[in-house]
Amino acid sequence: MTDDPSVILKRARTVLEAGEILRGRSVAERARWLEASAQALSEGTPLGREARAMLPEETALSDAMVAWALRTTLGTVSRDALLGVAEEATEVVGPRPDPISLLSVVLAGNVFTASVRGIVVPLLFGVPVLVKASSRETRFPTLIREALRCADAELGMAMDLVVFRGGDADREAALVEPAEAVAVYGTDETVSAIKPRIGGHVAVIAHGHGVSVAYCSARSLTPESIDDVTARVALDLAAYDQRGCLSPQVIYVEDCPGTSVDGFTTRLSGALEAVAEMLPRGPLPEAVGAAQTQWRGLAEVEGTLVRGREHALAINRHGAIRWSPGYRNATIVPVRDLDDALASMKAFAAHLKCAGTDSWTLRELTARFLESASWKAYATEIGTMQTPALEAPADGSPVWEGLFRARRR
Amino acid sequence: MRVRRQLERRVRALIADPGTRKDAVRDLLIGEIAAWQSARIPEYGRLHRDGAWPPALPTDVFRVRRIASHPLKEDARVFRSSGTTSSNRSAHVFKDLGLYDAAARAAAKYMLFPDVERMRLVFLAPHEEEAPHSSLSYMLTRFAQWFGSEHTWVWHDGGLDIERLETTLVQAVADGQAVALLGTSFAFVHAEDGLGDSSIPLPVGSRIMQTGGYKGRSREVRPAELRRAMSRRYGVPEPWIVAEYGMTELSSQMYETTLRDDLTGISSPRRLWIPPWVRATPVDPDTLQPVQGDACGVLRIDDCASLDSVCCIQSADLATRVEDGIVVEGRAPGAAPRGCSLAADEALGVS
Repeated sequence: MTDDPSVILKRARTVLEAGEILRGRSVAERARWLEASAQALSEGTPLGREARAMLPEETALSDAMVAWALRTTLGTVSRDALLGVAEEATEVVGPRPDPISLLSVVLAGNVFTASVRGIVVPLLFGVPVLVKASSRETRFPTLIREALRCADAELGMAMDLVVFRGGDADREAALVEPAEAVAVYGTDETVSAIKPRIGGHVAVIAHGHGVSVAYCSARSLTPESIDDVTARVALDLAAYDQRGCLSPQVIYVEDCPGTSVDGFTTRLSGALEAVAEMLPRGPLPEAVGAAQTQWRGLAEVEGTLVRGREHALAINRHGAIRWSPGYRNATIVPVRDLDDALASMKAFAAHLKCAGTDSWTLRELTARFLESASWKAYATEIGTMQTPALEAPADGSPVWEGLFRARRR
Repeated sequence: MRVRRQLERRVRALIADPGTRKDAVRDLLIGEIAAWQSARIPEYGRLHRDGAWPPALPTDVFRVRRIASHPLKEDARVFRSSGTTSSNRSAHVFKDLGLYDAAARAAAKYMLFPDVERMRLVFLAPHEEEAPHSSLSYMLTRFAQWFGSEHTWVWHDGGLDIERLETTLVQAVADGQAVALLGTSFAFVHAEDGLGDSSIPLPVGSRIMQTGGYKGRSREVRPAELRRAMSRRYGVPEPWIVAEYGMTELSSQMYETTLRDDLTGISSPRRLWIPPWVRATPVDPDTLQPVQGDACGVLRIDDCASLDSVCCIQSADLATRVEDGIVVEGRAPGAAPRGCSLAADEALGVS
């Protein structure tokens, strides 16, 4: 399905006009509406059932993974959480922020629920949204649109959807013509390719390349806590089949007398088997399978590889990280301490989105990321890497970045 | 040395008779070569697999390690894959090119030149002297010696000499002499672009061998489309346009079956012929075991002629079985999804 430029432009204008109605409602009213919309997609509802039936095939995730992704993501869209984000923004931006008139959003296709934050947050702040869905994944944005309209038909007109293949200059022009900003999710290539095509009148909010890591301190590796820690890391790793930029690619493990890195890896492998029972991996794409054979074999030659039914963990003691193709293939890197891990992360700091860590280290890691502007990442507790809170930063910036006009003096 | 000599003798026996399959002999030999190499090559010795087959070494390892069953000082030749930096080029080292030559000659004779002793050869690829690390250039230079009555190189200094190509072909037509055009796919695309509307129907018996992907060196053309275009331009029937499958990490080549099938009156689908000293098997990426039936898998190639490096190779190519051969579906893109698609160049070697 491809929408013509005239259709795209028409929808953009309709959405733009609906912005007035949207801004006419209070933040509290909008938060209530958004919460109701999320509930309209919950398990027992007609839309929720449709989502759970249709999305596994389109996303190539297992049924259980789709259900988990919907439950955990939609669960973040609560009235309280929304009001919390609004309050935080007010503190930073000021009491009467001036929202932009229209945001166009170009979605990527790797993690289907990433669209939720990208749509809900602008709407919360009174910014109508026109979404260009990935041509491979149109169902979920369509269902979000239905849910928004189901919860409030009038407000629901403030979000609409268009579909076309990326790289079509005429359609891209129509997508952004009435917009004040465009948020682009995808590769750095997608972002840099789209910028010159859309011209200078529209601000670009780029969400490009990214990887994430986890760090487990010695304190978390005691006999009392290690099972919980490995279960949490396993969940982060397995979620969305490690396809997203919040998926840990590397797990830094502090050397400690009690638990060896080999022991940690064996336990993590066991935890991944257990997760696979509940959240099986989706079908492995052929190209990923080919890359997986290379990555695993190379890891085996250079270090130690622990294989499971649907996963593999490479223990890497020599320092050269080789990024895996995802799909539950991760690298375990032994480190002396947090400084050692941060020194390793520095090499890809510009692309680091998120670092999960144990509860003992969270505060310190958060502080370390705030110390330098070179870090764009945020820290979160392991086990929650794939379920970011609504207010979690995006690429080192507040989640509302680009949604307000600069104040005139 | 004694073991190597014994193994080489047995491999040569298989190569000597390319028309006869002795799979049990081959499989036994693969196992023995792998065991010998496993004890001599530490990188290979680190791999362990369950099941009857020895482990296969991923081709990516050839990019980062020297893989050889002999010491560095005994290297007689190193072939390198194409690439922009040394870090992304595979290196295949040889102590002795005798087996390579024997395998290349036997396969080409059987599949490309079964009907002729010698003929005119035109190479759309660089000469060995211009590309000393290219296994393709090495092989084509040997072809000139083994199969050429005359030969012309029309690729120089990184570009196609269109004038020379045209002149050579026009002369062949005037002389009524069949020609074999051999080269890279991207060179043939350059020829398509450079020759414009010229059509040069070559004498009967002419044939074309093309190999390799495009790697950004020309516009990309689908294999069937390029075949059609070449057939129209050179008047060579499509079955006589044969793709060669080779890799730097291998010592043997596989050719499409169509020319030989046409000569022998066999009607079968286009597929790659597997030489009797090679085992080519699509495998499951999780279990590394052979896939069932005609399912797509990742191509594993066990090449008995690779005595000096590793016989059992795990490629990154996708392939399916078709009758007694295989069809390569294409090379899997290196930049597989990782995070939000971190670029492969950045991803490799970050420390």
